[in-house]
Amino acid sequence: MKKLILAATAILALGSAAQAQETVRIATEGAYAPWNFLDDTGAPAGFEIDLGNAICAQAGITCEFIINDWDSIIPNLLAGNYDVIMAGMSITDERLETIDFTQNYFPPDPSKFAAAAGSGIDAAALEGKRIGVQGGTIQAAYAEENLGATNTVVSFGTADQAMADLAAGNLDTILADGAYLEPVVTASGGAMEFVGEDVMIGNGVGAGIRKDEAELKATFDDALTALKKDGTVDKLIAQWFEGRGPYFAE
Amino acid sequence: MSEDLAFWLSYITNGKHLTWYASFQFTIFAAVFGGTLAVVFGLIGATLKNSRFLPLRLIGTVYSSIVRGVPDVLFFLFFPLAFEQAVEWFIASQVCTPDMLAAQSAAWPPCKEANWFLGTPEYLILASVSLGLVYGAFATNVIHGALRSVPKGQLEAARAYGMSASQLLWRVHIRQMWVYALPGLSNVWMLIIKATSLLSLLQIADIVLWADRLGAPNFLPAVGLVHEDWRWRYYLVLFVFYILVTLLSEKVFEAIMRRAGRGILSEVRH
Repeated sequence: MKKLILAATAILALGSAAQAQETVRIATEGAYAPWNFLDDTGAPAGFEIDLGNAICAQAGITCEFIINDWDSIIPNLLAGNYDVIMAGMSITDERLETIDFTQNYFPPDPSKFAAAAGSGIDAAALEGKRIGVQGGTIQAAYAEENLGATNTVVSFGTADQAMADLAAGNLDTILADGAYLEPVVTASGGAMEFVGEDVMIGNGVGAGIRKDEAELKATFDDALTALKKDGTVDKLIAQWFEGRGPYFAE
Repeated sequence: MSEDLAFWLSYITNGKHLTWYASFQFTIFAAVFGGTLAVVFGLIGATLKNSRFLPLRLIGTVYSSIVRGVPDVLFFLFFPLAFEQAVEWFIASQVCTPDMLAAQSAAWPPCKEANWFLGTPEYLILASVSLGLVYGAFATNVIHGALRSVPKGQLEAARAYGMSASQLLWRVHIRQMWVYALPGLSNVWMLIIKATSLLSLLQIADIVLWADRLGAPNFLPAVGLVHEDWRWRYYLVLFVFYILVTLLSEKVFEAIMRRAGRGILSEVRH
């Protein structure tokens, strides 16, 4: 019996070690267009999927994207369920305490307040308002800290749900990444508008990697440097975020 | 009109929707496997509860009363995670060297080599076992009661024929028990069916998770059809699915009931 358990243990351990060498598993949320989403075939698509595949091609490694809820995306990285996070995640000091980031592949981007058109909301002096954010984001932390005392901050599982509640009139405003909100506000055909001043938070978006994976981080950083140099990153940004960039051209 | 129809037909048969339809297999697997385990655990539990040996009787009683009292959602979250960590703790005690322990930056597992990656198949099995454990506690009570409902005369007659204890148990006692247990077990089965909607809590991309994803509002043409919050439409489909399963289950249980009642005193067959 004991031998059997040991053998099973060895197979389990070998299995997970072999897996780690063969394919790099990249986790993404799949609900944050145009960064990452599920296309009509049900497969992950978006800026980060194209970029991730470009990085892996550049580095000569095989990669696989898996979908993980935003809430548990860092804990599951630490648990070793995958090796990299590419999910529109901003590099912040808080996150750097638990995980490492590659260099950013999207520059620091202002967060914006969006509201229903003609709401006359004064984003500079928010009081007694319902502000929607996606839970666990830099905007959620910012809103709690700076606006939480005098307003109700409502947090949602995905950014789209926050947006839906704003559209349904349950929220006065939402605070989210400009790069996420811009196409949504444009697509709303005038039903939504930006209000108030933009807020600068975060140090750009990078790929999250466990602290003990220095080699993998170096591989990703080198590939990103090369892809920034040859214009691939700028090309993908221009393709997925209309009218953005170029940011990394020399 | 026909263009509309063609559009919607192609919309509900795109890859995303096909994945949703395919995910029904997880729900059905969890219900069937979980249900089977519930009956197995129920039989074991009832046997323990009926045991003449006090410690075994206590185990049976404690199992059926404690597990029945814990909310299924809670047990569903607790059991797979606790089991995973217990396995990782055990592997860690076998394979982790001090070097590996020092290299580990996360709080858990103790060393990376001890990590047990749980994918959909693993979670599905753990989820089914959770369902089996929770509803096995209900089945324990049902079967325990059913065992006591078998007329004493039947058992006495079996003994008088010279049957051994195990012959009596399997050929007479359990064989006749089903007639009394089936109505209760059909209730337990309905509860299991309903509890399969919890699978998405364990990161299984099941019918509820896909209904959520497909119904989530979409604002960008690049992503697919632009629509508002349509989750209620998808949930409605799930309602219909569960109602159909209920109706089908009732028919199946009626058939089983008829079969189990063959040759048994007509007064117990309603």
